[in-house]
Amino acid sequence: MSSSPPDVSAVLARGRLGTWAVVFFVIAAAAPLTVVAGGATTGYAVTGVRGIPVAYLLVAAVLALFSVGYVAMSRRIVNAGAFYTYITRGLGRPAGVGAAFVAVVGYNAMQIGLYGGFGSVLAGFLADRGMQVPWWLCAYAAWAIVAVLGVLRIDLNGKVLAVMLIAEVVVALVYDAVMVTHPADGGVTVDTLSPSHLLAAGIGAALVTAITGFVGFEGTVVFSEETKDPRRTVPRATYLAVAITGLLYGASAWAMSVATGPDKIVDAATADGTDLMFNLVSPHLGSELVTIGRLLFITSLFAALLSFHHTVARYLFALGRERVLPAALGRTSRRTGAPKTGSIIQSTLAALVLAGYVLAGADPIMHLFFWVTVTGGLGVLILMTVTSLAVVVFFARTPNDDGLWRTRLAPGLATLALGAILVVTVEQFDTLLGVPTTSPLRWWIPASYGITATVGLAFALLLRTLRPDVYQAIGLGAQSATAPLRTPEPVHQAAR
Amino acid sequence: MVITPPGADDRPTVHLDPIPATVRHDVVRGGPHRGPKLLADEFFLLAHDDRSGRPRLHDAATNYGVAAALLGELAAAGSISFDRGRLWVLDHRPPQDWLQHRVLARLVAEPQHTATRTWLAFLAETVPEQVAERLWQAGKVAPQQRRRRLLRTSVVYVPTDTNVAAWSWARLSTHLREYKHLQPFDLALMGIATSCGLDQFILDGAGPSVFANLRRQLQAAPQPMRELLADLDTAIGSAVLSHRT
Repeated sequence: MSSSPPDVSAVLARGRLGTWAVVFFVIAAAAPLTVVAGGATTGYAVTGVRGIPVAYLLVAAVLALFSVGYVAMSRRIVNAGAFYTYITRGLGRPAGVGAAFVAVVGYNAMQIGLYGGFGSVLAGFLADRGMQVPWWLCAYAAWAIVAVLGVLRIDLNGKVLAVMLIAEVVVALVYDAVMVTHPADGGVTVDTLSPSHLLAAGIGAALVTAITGFVGFEGTVVFSEETKDPRRTVPRATYLAVAITGLLYGASAWAMSVATGPDKIVDAATADGTDLMFNLVSPHLGSELVTIGRLLFITSLFAALLSFHHTVARYLFALGRERVLPAALGRTSRRTGAPKTGSIIQSTLAALVLAGYVLAGADPIMHLFFWVTVTGGLGVLILMTVTSLAVVVFFARTPNDDGLWRTRLAPGLATLALGAILVVTVEQFDTLLGVPTTSPLRWWIPASYGITATVGLAFALLLRTLRPDVYQAIGLGAQSATAPLRTPEPVHQAAR
Repeated sequence: MVITPPGADDRPTVHLDPIPATVRHDVVRGGPHRGPKLLADEFFLLAHDDRSGRPRLHDAATNYGVAAALLGELAAAGSISFDRGRLWVLDHRPPQDWLQHRVLARLVAEPQHTATRTWLAFLAETVPEQVAERLWQAGKVAPQQRRRRLLRTSVVYVPTDTNVAAWSWARLSTHLREYKHLQPFDLALMGIATSCGLDQFILDGAGPSVFANLRRQLQAAPQPMRELLADLDTAIGSAVLSHRT
């Protein structure tokens, strides 16, 4: 053949993702402006902890440590259901199913909680413009759009996400600059960045609030097979995502405390809620810039809603593919290829929870947005802790030349650090919820994950006896079809 | 440049002599067809509406399905086989069909790629259009420009004869509903259709026992076919899991 067409590698390289594309996809799920304007402010208000900024920075450092082992493992195991796959490979199939169930609950909580934020913020935005719409109507409007986009398998376009994300970061940085250059009476202080807060009462609550803000970054490894060079792209994207969001969250939460004065930040956050940041900058900025910020806050909430909706639907799809959950979940819509059943289940669950909140007349920001997303954050914290442990065990059993740091030290230290955060979080869950220490909720919410994990574990053991073929395929996700034929390869060799 | 997999010796001997089409059981005759039927052609027809030519499936499923069907054609002709996720070339002799010839030449030219999934991904990108062309040459479809949103146009291949286009659908549907044992050609076609999510369409309204019978037949399929179908399942499942727009 004289004029040879492009070779296999060249064809497969088309449309592969580069580092920044992956960063944009995952940070969109983390929704920076949602975290800065919504998570940090509500965190101050509900927990009453001043050390929110230092909590963000500490958590970023811990997550960077976690990422070392996590991305090392992603080079060995390519699978879209990262956490539970890794846990399956490290700690066995029953632990994997337990983790999968925890993940489904946790990501659902993240998604559903965001409706509270979206509904309330949009309602507030409209109210400022003379339109009185109840928060739940705004939430249901978003719900309807997400439900439709979910079954049509429409995701936000990568370019749209990139533009939105850059705009969000720019707006947050401009606001930060405005707040820091207009400090409260005491001038610019770094009080809220002081590590001494890490020993203060209620820091567990602050730390899990911070973790909640990062949820989504773990999605980088899902793209392994889609990237130009999985060995480099995925680690780089992961560290970049953690660094960018960590610095932005820490800086913005700190800037707010500078503008109000560190001693008044909690009171200001309690009074203004998710408006705090906008209220702080509006005297010093043109109203257009404030409106743009508010609009971006709403769009970032929506991007996060859609992203977590797809995450849940895909988790259910992967479990259906493995037949751990009914096989119907593993089917896709014929025309759109959407994991339809999972998508519908997620939407139905969200609709029911929203209805419950409306009927109970609960507060959308505190009881739905904060409580429920932080509960989701707790689920992800549990998953990350167990995943770190799984990484250590996996590499201890698998011959490798990845070095002591990546396979033992970093994941080992991450397990300890995340475990410590988990312990103080559960201990201080009452502070986190802002309820009295005697409230049964403070035990019920953490315990619900224990129950979920136990159910998963028991279910896996049941499968081992009743459906050994299904048991064998646990953790294989899309690859489960190959289970009866061959031991799946630990690494899928992506064509270069 | 035969791709020699590790442990190649323990594989069953495969018959390398070209089998005359008249005795080949992968060629189904009868129905409204002229000439031998090709797996990828039949899958392409099955995956598109028999009147309008519009896709019945989402793009990833159609493309991967066509890719798998084309590999299936080469496997049925004894040119290649599948084992443990790898694809091997058994016979270098060029097939008569130009498209099979082109694909086999590529498999031979790049022996460094052995994973079936790599080839599925590559062929899914490159061959669906060529299969449509092959159908056009056989006079079974005719291209038509369709205007889609805004200025974008797309080509739809409209079947020239609905009876020809719908023949595989009708045959598979009837045979399966009657619990008949599928011939290798039909089993491969139905297996690929099932992996792509067309089974619910072909067997619309059929009882669970029909699906159970299909599953049993697919489980009893020859090992290389099961290998190919498992990799097709994985490819489509992964496409769903990592889909981004």
